[in-house]
Amino acid sequence: MTAWLLLLPACAILAAGFLYPVWLLARISLNRTTDLGAMEEALTLETFAKVAGDDFTWELAQNTAVLAASSAFLATALALPVALLIRAANPRWRGLLSLMAVAPLLISGTARVVGWMAILGDRGLINAALAGLGLTADPIRLINNWTGVRIGLTESLMPYACLVLIAGLGRLDARLEEAAATLGATRARTFLRITLPLAMPALLAAFLLCFVLGVSAFVTPRLMGGGRVFVVATEIFDLALETVDWPAAAAMAMLLLGALFAAMILRALLGRRTA
Amino acid sequence: MTALRLEGLTRHFPGTPRAAVDAIALDLPQGALLALLGPSGCGKTTTLRMIAGLEAPDAGRILVGGRDVTALPPHRRNMGVVFQSYALFPHLSAARNVAFGLEMRGVPRAERAPRVADALALVGLTELAHRKPGQLSGGQQQRVALARALAPQPDLLLLDEPLSALDAKLREEVRDEIRALQQRVGATTVFVTHDQTEALAMADLVAVMNEGRIEQLDTPEAVFERPASRFVATFVGRAARLPARAKGGGWLLAGAATLRAAEAPESGACEIFLRPHHLRPLREGATAENALDARVLRRAYTGETVTLELETAAGRLLCDLPGGTPEAAAQPGHSLRIGFAAAALRVFAA
Repeated sequence: MTAWLLLLPACAILAAGFLYPVWLLARISLNRTTDLGAMEEALTLETFAKVAGDDFTWELAQNTAVLAASSAFLATALALPVALLIRAANPRWRGLLSLMAVAPLLISGTARVVGWMAILGDRGLINAALAGLGLTADPIRLINNWTGVRIGLTESLMPYACLVLIAGLGRLDARLEEAAATLGATRARTFLRITLPLAMPALLAAFLLCFVLGVSAFVTPRLMGGGRVFVVATEIFDLALETVDWPAAAAMAMLLLGALFAAMILRALLGRRTA
Repeated sequence: MTALRLEGLTRHFPGTPRAAVDAIALDLPQGALLALLGPSGCGKTTTLRMIAGLEAPDAGRILVGGRDVTALPPHRRNMGVVFQSYALFPHLSAARNVAFGLEMRGVPRAERAPRVADALALVGLTELAHRKPGQLSGGQQQRVALARALAPQPDLLLLDEPLSALDAKLREEVRDEIRALQQRVGATTVFVTHDQTEALAMADLVAVMNEGRIEQLDTPEAVFERPASRFVATFVGRAARLPARAKGGGWLLAGAATLRAAEAPESGACEIFLRPHHLRPLREGATAENALDARVLRRAYTGETVTLELETAAGRLLCDLPGGTPEAAAQPGHSLRIGFAAAALRVFAA
């Protein structure tokens, strides 16, 4: 009984901060936008039909999915060696190394984007170096486009991938790799035949978490896309605050929410099957 | 022919006061089973891991069939290892687990299948070949691990406490199975255990280890009956320990009793070890090289044997008697006369 009472504050915060806004959003998504652009109280799926029927919505969805999937894949792939290193490290250093792997979470997303601008910009570190070495005549466009957003998003997702993989690989018995070695497997074959297959559930979990986070990412596409990168999250922002078409923004947000829920249920199902 | 030779093998883990394995040397003939026996932390597992190549020695050499393998990585040593936890690949079936070593050694696919089948048949698991390790019992997993280790026909079979994860009844059964299998295949084997019964029952040679050193390397009988050191006498089997004083000529003064030993120092303080099964009750008129009057202090009945704790002029002794004999019925407070041979006494200078 007391335990349930202790849950009350969390439930209250969740209800006020999440459920109520989502309810409002759902309600607004059922309203109608008049030809003059004003919102009109209604209970209609018109807006959903309009949003879902618009080719631009599907282009955005595809953009978003490709960006999130590619960034999630890169983040997971880059986090794997980090997690493997931490797993193999002396237990005394493991905590510190894990902390370092997730330290980027301690920096605000905006500050990180500014950092990337200094590195990836036309006069940034990379282009300056390439030009200085005489390798390129004109700067390579690394920012204010999809490449820039992908780099920034991958980097911002990596700590999450690291967290999931460190936890997942920690349960992987090192004796299995030793057994493979005594059976004649080189380190490369041990990795491919034993470590990688056994790490697959953790890799999948990391990928899905990053994918979900990547789909809903707003700051990175907005700031590193330089106004040339359009994804669902930026579009919702534009619809709500620039076009001021609240029902459309709400409908798109609801569709995104539904897609994310589907992804998370998928993840839970996969997690249960491998557990 | 020497199948395995260790020369001055040493491993000192950084930050520890003494070497985990301290200049170990031994020779193991082809087809023999060596048990590394000792308490936890004596260096037996580290020794095994060095032989397998999973741990690098700080000094010394490992020769397998005359070939120096000290610098070789584990995958080039051709050894079959059974780990304490078995370390079966959970994502592969029993058959694929067994096939793994053959595959890694480049055995052609056509040749693999019959060899996997043979190895599984050897451990009696033909029917369960398609099962994943998670669907097998502890004993079955153990057998898969054994089949996996043996399938590539390793130069050496290394077993790290292979029975410790099994329950007591199964342990004895699997113990005898492993020994029978090892003799049938003729695999030279090193077996790590902290269980003296296991070591004595299975091994051709027992190396009793303590603090990184081999205290005694001998046949099971010799280790048990003629322990070379006090550590061996206490670690292997049970024994009564009595303080004594050597009087010369094999005579010893223990408490108020004078005892005769086959081997004893000429003088000085010493310690006597006497195993419970060496004591025999003496009936009316019977004699022995050593005979003592005893009073029963405690009696423990375990079914097959009765262990009596006896108070004698020499001190407290333990005596194992077969259950059901008249003397075994003795209750605390009863008196009896016991005897033992001079050779039964092991004497170590204090």
